[in-house]
Amino acid sequence: MSTSALKSPLPEAPRFPFARTCPIHPPPLYAQARTEQPVYKVTLWDDRKAWLILDYALVKQVLTDPRFSGRFSHPQFPAVTQARVAIDKQERAFIGMDNPEHDAYRRLFTREFSAKRMLALRPQITELTNRLIDEMLAQGSSADLVESLAVRLPSLVMCELFGSPYEDHVFIMSCAAGRHGLTQSAETAQQSARELVAYMRRLIDQKEKEPGDDMVSRIIADHVLTGGLSREDFAEIGAMILRGGHDTTTNMIGVGTYLLLQNPPLREKLAASPELMAGAIEEMLRFVSPVQFAPRRVALEDVEMGGVLIRQGEGVFPLLPAANRDACVFADPDTLDFDRDASGHLAFGYGIHQCLGQILARVELQVVFSALLQRIPTLRLAVPLEQIRFKSDMQIYGIYSLPVAW
Amino acid sequence: MNKQLGIFQVVVEDHKCVGAGQCVVVAPEVFDQRDEDGMVVLLQAQPDPALRPAVEKAVRLCPALAIRIEDR
Repeated sequence: MSTSALKSPLPEAPRFPFARTCPIHPPPLYAQARTEQPVYKVTLWDDRKAWLILDYALVKQVLTDPRFSGRFSHPQFPAVTQARVAIDKQERAFIGMDNPEHDAYRRLFTREFSAKRMLALRPQITELTNRLIDEMLAQGSSADLVESLAVRLPSLVMCELFGSPYEDHVFIMSCAAGRHGLTQSAETAQQSARELVAYMRRLIDQKEKEPGDDMVSRIIADHVLTGGLSREDFAEIGAMILRGGHDTTTNMIGVGTYLLLQNPPLREKLAASPELMAGAIEEMLRFVSPVQFAPRRVALEDVEMGGVLIRQGEGVFPLLPAANRDACVFADPDTLDFDRDASGHLAFGYGIHQCLGQILARVELQVVFSALLQRIPTLRLAVPLEQIRFKSDMQIYGIYSLPVAW
Repeated sequence: MNKQLGIFQVVVEDHKCVGAGQCVVVAPEVFDQRDEDGMVVLLQAQPDPALRPAVEKAVRLCPALAIRIEDR
């Protein structure tokens, strides 16, 4: 493009992560770099160099190429903070494994998150959502939507799945938050991680003594007691699932509500046509892409890609928010458009590690936004826009609190 | 002749499947998941040509690249 001569040159190996200039868009440097250097060299916290993958097709390629390892214990596995390195080395669940180990573990759990099973939870999730909305409305004429709904719904749903008592969810949330904060110290992050695993050990113990109709009891019966899965491995995997089922969905509910409140025409369109909801959720996922700095990979051998040579041992970040704003795939990518077909977005990742809970997340989001639009048509922001604080520093992007009124 | 009639075959490499279930969501007439482990079940290897767009979407969405269409 002829305007390229007028653009400022791309910074050379800038420090990553980059700052956002607007809360609802990824850092502008992604778009700027994508056209010229879709495999873009950056500098990490420890001065190591790594590569961002900013192009949709290349992100999919990396995530399906076994030359890029997802093994967290690899000595050169990249991380965005020192605290994250400490967490990575502690990871025992299959999120941090390559094949064949990964599949062997994941396949023990996939039936628990099957399409049929998750879609069947819709009535239950609807009931939980309505109960939370009742409680929020009972607060008066204003509340913090994040605290009242966005944090509680995914927690309640995970508690249902696991068969853990509701009073455990506050503890579970604080552990998850501790792991994801970019500004957390390594010690705090590790401590939070260990607490969640310890919680799982207690829950497994409980369920072994008193089985119920829940995932934990089924996994114990079908895999632990048959010798196919150790209690320790189950505790690690359970902790991973608990984390995965929280922050991401919570943050989508917060940011998604913010976007609807900021876009009255979009909100009215959705309220008037409920059949658009599923597609609108996909578009929200594409647009928000809350997983900011993952997935990560390390090259197991030299790979030529996007005009550069990635050397063996170098870290790679196939960035989901960047891929989801690739204009080659999504026309006018920075516009939130509920009429577009956003299927094929990469908010849940791609390849063997694609989010295990994605169908559950979709059901929760469809239910929550349908309920909000239907039950609180006068919902509005209770504070000026500028007062809304976004979690720029966290692994999972979102909003800290969303004061709303009705 | 098959191509003119829109006849196509669906091939699944189930050893690659990670049980994401996207195929089931977009083409439930063609794909299901096994109860015991959530792995893909191909319900019809030669679906009605009208289902081709849905199957093409399943091919595109499968994170494990485990599905392909063959025009035989």
